[in-house]
Amino acid sequence: MDAKTYTAPPSIGRYGSRALVFGVAALALAAAVSFLFPQEHIPGPVQFFRAYLVAYIFCTGLGVGSLAWLMLQHMTGGGWGLVIRRPLEAATRTIPLLALLFIPLAVSLFVHPGGESLYEWSDAAKVAGDEALRHKSAYLNPVFFIVRAVIYFAVWGVMMYFMNKWSAEQDKTGDPRIRRLMQDASAPGLLLFGLTVTFAAMDWGMSLEPHWFSTIYGLIIMVGWGLSALALMIIVLTVLGAEEPMEGVYAPLYFHDLGKLLLAMVMLFAYFSFSQFLIIWSGNLPEEIPYYLRRLRGWWQYVGLSLILFHFALPFAMLLSRGVKRHARALRNIAILMLLMRVVDLIFIIAPAAYQDTAEPTGIHWQDLLTMSAAAAGLFGIWLWYFFGQLTKRPLMPLGAPELEKTMEAAAASAHH
Amino acid sequence: MQRVDNLDDDRGIHTTPAVIEPGHDFGTVTDKISSIVLRKRTPLGWFVGFLISFMLTGMMMGTILYLVMTGIGIWGNNQPVGWAFDIINFVWWIGIGHAGTLISAILLLLRQEWRTSINRFAEAMTLFAVASAGLFPLLHTGRPWLAYWLFPYPNTMGMWPQFRSPLMWDVFAVSTYATVSALFWYTGLIPDLATLRDRARSKFGRVVYGMMALGWRGSARHWHRYEITYLLLAGISTPLVLSVHTIVSFDFAVGIIPGWHATIFPPYFVAGAIYAGFAMVLTLVIPLRKFYGLEDFITERHLRNAAKVMLATGLIVAYGYMMETFTAWYSANTYEEFMIRNRFFGPYAFYYWSLLVCNVVVPQLLWIRFVRHSTVALFVIAMFVNVGMWLERFVIIPISLHRDFLPSSWGMYSPTIFDFTMFFGTIGFFFFLMFLFLRFLPVISIFEMRTMVPEAQLPEEKLP
Repeated sequence: MDAKTYTAPPSIGRYGSRALVFGVAALALAAAVSFLFPQEHIPGPVQFFRAYLVAYIFCTGLGVGSLAWLMLQHMTGGGWGLVIRRPLEAATRTIPLLALLFIPLAVSLFVHPGGESLYEWSDAAKVAGDEALRHKSAYLNPVFFIVRAVIYFAVWGVMMYFMNKWSAEQDKTGDPRIRRLMQDASAPGLLLFGLTVTFAAMDWGMSLEPHWFSTIYGLIIMVGWGLSALALMIIVLTVLGAEEPMEGVYAPLYFHDLGKLLLAMVMLFAYFSFSQFLIIWSGNLPEEIPYYLRRLRGWWQYVGLSLILFHFALPFAMLLSRGVKRHARALRNIAILMLLMRVVDLIFIIAPAAYQDTAEPTGIHWQDLLTMSAAAAGLFGIWLWYFFGQLTKRPLMPLGAPELEKTMEAAAASAHH
Repeated sequence: MQRVDNLDDDRGIHTTPAVIEPGHDFGTVTDKISSIVLRKRTPLGWFVGFLISFMLTGMMMGTILYLVMTGIGIWGNNQPVGWAFDIINFVWWIGIGHAGTLISAILLLLRQEWRTSINRFAEAMTLFAVASAGLFPLLHTGRPWLAYWLFPYPNTMGMWPQFRSPLMWDVFAVSTYATVSALFWYTGLIPDLATLRDRARSKFGRVVYGMMALGWRGSARHWHRYEITYLLLAGISTPLVLSVHTIVSFDFAVGIIPGWHATIFPPYFVAGAIYAGFAMVLTLVIPLRKFYGLEDFITERHLRNAAKVMLATGLIVAYGYMMETFTAWYSANTYEEFMIRNRFFGPYAFYYWSLLVCNVVVPQLLWIRFVRHSTVALFVIAMFVNVGMWLERFVIIPISLHRDFLPSSWGMYSPTIFDFTMFFGTIGFFFFLMFLFLRFLPVISIFEMRTMVPEAQLPEEKLP
C-alpha cells in the first residue's frame, strides 16, 4: 500500500461546519416565512411541513439513492464504482440521521390547524366525508403510515449496516471472500430497495393527492433519487480531487463512466415522466387528469417547461459530448444543475397538491417557492455536515479491495493516452 | 464451500468461464464456424427440422390464403373482444426480437465482449421474429393489399391517418425497427460473407457469396468504414429497443380500458420484451451449441449471463403485476378493482394463475447458483418464460376486453382453429428462416471471434 493512506483532508471538516451553519439558518428562514407570512388557506405549520417534505424527500434520496448505487457497483464491478465507493458508503451512513429527521413528518399527521393538514387523509373528519378516502383508510392512516416508515428505515438500515461493516472488514483483512459476499448480498438488496422506495414514494409523495394514482410513480421517484445521488457523487469527487491525497487519483476515465451513467439517468427520468404524462393526458380521465391540470395552468406550466429544458434537454445535449464527460469541472457543473433541478421537480410535484380544492388556475405563491427552496437548502446543509463527518472516518479508497491496484494502474495508463 | 471453490486464490476474483475456450487461434475459429456452412455434411437432424418447419410454414400460407379470400371472420375475435390472437402474437413476436437488438447493439456500446459469439444469431432471431410479428397487424387489416393506407401520403381522397393514435406510431416504429435491424445484421455479415466467398469450393458458392460480400477486400479503408458504420447503426438501434416496445405499450395504455390504461406500461413492456427475448435466445442456443458442437464459443458464461438478465427483467415484470394489483385497490375505482378481481377469479382465472407460475414463481429458481449452471434447467425455465410471456399478452388483451364498463356488453372469447394454425404457422415460419440461416450463413461472427483469441489481445486493450 506504500505511503498512500487516502485519509480525508482537513478541509472536509471545515466545509462540513460551514454547511451546518448555513443549513440551520436556511431552515430557520423557511420556518420564519411559513409562520410569519402564511398564505390565505394554508396555516403556518402546514406550510412548514410542505416545505420540509420537499427537503426531506430530496435528502433521503441522497442517502438511500447512494445505497442503491453502492449495491449496483458491487454487482457490476468496474473502476467507476471503486472510486465512488467510500463517498457512497459515507452517504448511506446518513440513513440513521434521515430516520430521525422523519419525526416532523410523523408529527404532521396529528396537526390539523384550522382543518388543514399536510396529508388530507390524516384528518379523520375529512376521511369520514369522502368515500374514496374511507376505502383507502386501510392503507392511508397515520399509524400504518408510521409503521411503514419504520419498516423502510429498518430495511435500509440493515443493508447500510452490513455493507459498511463488510467493507471495513475488507480493509482490515483483505479477505477475498468478502467481495463475493457483498456481490451476492447486493442482488436481493436491490430488490428490497425497489420495493421499499416504491411504497415510500407513494406514501410520502403520491398520497398528497389521495384521489390520484399512477403505477409508475414509484419508479419516477426511484430514478430521481438515483439521479441526485449520482450527481452528488460527481460533485464530491471534484471536491476531493482538488487536493492531496486524492489529487490526480480520479482519472478522466472515471468521470467519463460516471458521465455516461448520469446521461442514462437523465434519459430514464425523462422517459418515465413523459410516459406518465402522455398516458394520463391521452386517457383524460376525471380521477387522473386533475394532477396535470393543476400543473399545466397558470405559472406552473413554465415550471414544467423549465423541467423539460433544464432537467432533460440541456443536460442531455451536453452529456452527449465525450469531452464534457471527461472534463471534471464541466461534468460537475452539470451535476450541480441536476441537483437544483431535482429540487425544482420535487416542488413541481409537491406544491400544487395544496390547491386541490381550488378551481382557479393555480398561481405560484412566493411563500411556496421561498419556503420550499430554503428548506431544501437548509436540510441539505445539515445533511452535508453529517455526510462530511462520515466521509472523514474512513480512508477515501477501499484499501482492501482486491481490484484496487489494477484499477489504479489502468487509470494511470489511460491518463497518458 | 462452493464459494471457495470458485475463487482464484490470490486475487479474490472468482473465475468466470471464458467467452472462448482455450486452445483456439485465428485458423481454428474460422474453420470451425465456416465449416458448418461449407464443409460438413448437412446433418440429418437439419433436414428433419427443416421439413417440419416447412410444413408449418405451408399451414400458415394456407391460413393466410383462406383469410384473404374469406375475411378475418375466420378468427375468433369479435365484439367485445376485437383484439385477440392477432395482437397477442404480434406483441409476443416483437418482444422476442428485442433481445437480439439488446445483445447486438446495447451490449456492443457497453463494451460487453461476451456478446460476440451470440450477437449474429440473436440479430437473425430479431429479424425473423419481426417478420413473423409484422404479418399479424398486416392481416388484421383484413385487406393487406391496402396496408399502404397506413402511411401518411398525399392522396386524392385528402385523407390522413390519425396522428394521435398509437397504432399510427406503431407503423413507424416497427417499420423503422425492421429496416434498421436488417441493415445492422447485413452490415455485420459482410466481412464473413467475404470469408465464405474465399473458402467456398463450388463456383456457385463463390459467385453468390461474392455478390453478397459487396466487393469486400478487407483493406484497412474497408475496415475503417465498416467500424464507423457498425457503431453508428448500433447507436441508432439502441433507442429503438426502448421506443418500439414503449409504443407497443402505448397501443394499450393510451386507451382507457381498465387493464390497459396504466402508467407503468412502458417500462414494464420493455422489460417483458427483453425477458421473453432472452428466454427465446436460451431456447434456441442451448440445442444449437449442442448439435453443432459450438460449446467452445457459446460457453457456460453466455448461458449464465442470459440467465441473470432473465432474472432481473423477470423481477421488473413481476413488479409491474404487483403495481397493477395494488393500484387497482388503491385507486378506489370500481372498474379497476373489478378488472383485477376478474383476472384472479373470473372465467379466465386459470390463465392468470398460470401466468404467475410461469413468469414469477418458476424463474425465481434462477437465484440458485446450480440452477443457473445447469443447461437443462435453464432450457426448462426458458420454456416456462416463453409460455408465460404469451399468457401475459393473453391476460392483458382479451381478458381486459371481454368485461369492460357495461355488463350488458360483456362477452366471452374463444379462438378458432385458424387462430391456432396462424400462430403455430408463424412459429414454423420463424424456424424455417432459422434453419435456412443456419445452413447458408455463418451463425457466429467469424471475424469478431477472431478478435477474442489470445493472439489478438494487445496489452493496452485490457483496461477494466
